[in-house]
Amino acid sequence: MGSTETFDRNVRLFVYRRFLDRGEPPSVAEAAEGLGTSPAETEAAFRRLEAGHVLVFAPGTLDIWMANPLCAVPTAFRVATASGSWWGTCIWDAFGIPAMLGEDATITTSCPDCGEPFELRVEGGSLLPADGVAHFAVPARRWWDDIGYT
Amino acid sequence: MLAFRSEEHVDRWCRIWGVSRGASFSLQQAWQLGRAWYADKLSPDWRRATPEEAETAFAGIGLTGDFWRLR
Repeated sequence: MGSTETFDRNVRLFVYRRFLDRGEPPSVAEAAEGLGTSPAETEAAFRRLEAGHVLVFAPGTLDIWMANPLCAVPTAFRVATASGSWWGTCIWDAFGIPAMLGEDATITTSCPDCGEPFELRVEGGSLLPADGVAHFAVPARRWWDDIGYT
Repeated sequence: MLAFRSEEHVDRWCRIWGVSRGASFSLQQAWQLGRAWYADKLSPDWRRATPEEAETAFAGIGLTGDFWRLR
């Protein structure tokens, strides 16, 4: 693994760990300070990770909007585990949070059509039986055309 | 990707909001997607799946057809 690849891996892991610990992603400056690296080097890593679809920035900024499955802004998918609570970007990502953490979780969401709230429960690596369906409007090959909409 | 109470709710929501009907599938399949995609996300060795690997993962969950093609 080259030095750039290793550095980007370290930045990625720092971003995720900080996001999980604090409930919000670090800025470039915070990541640089936490990793003991320069802001310029860290910004370059952020940009490479964004180009590689690992991070998504809020439009026109270097502020992390998504480090999937985690989302920095409130969504319709709240995920709570024994170690914290986070927003999932969508139902796929909401399920991805307990999968990533290896923890049980309660996912609170609501039907976009009728607004009725409902909870989904992940226990012991399984989703407990639940009524409902997932719907994906955008075909797979177009997901990254507008990832905010997807 | 959103979670609805039923297929009827998906149909109505798509009609009202002018959204093309895409793919709908069970919440159990959505959970399997979450596991397939993110179980190793915190691993130092994680890397993005190639399009071929992703399509294989989709197929393993029963998500097949043109909607799920990446290539």
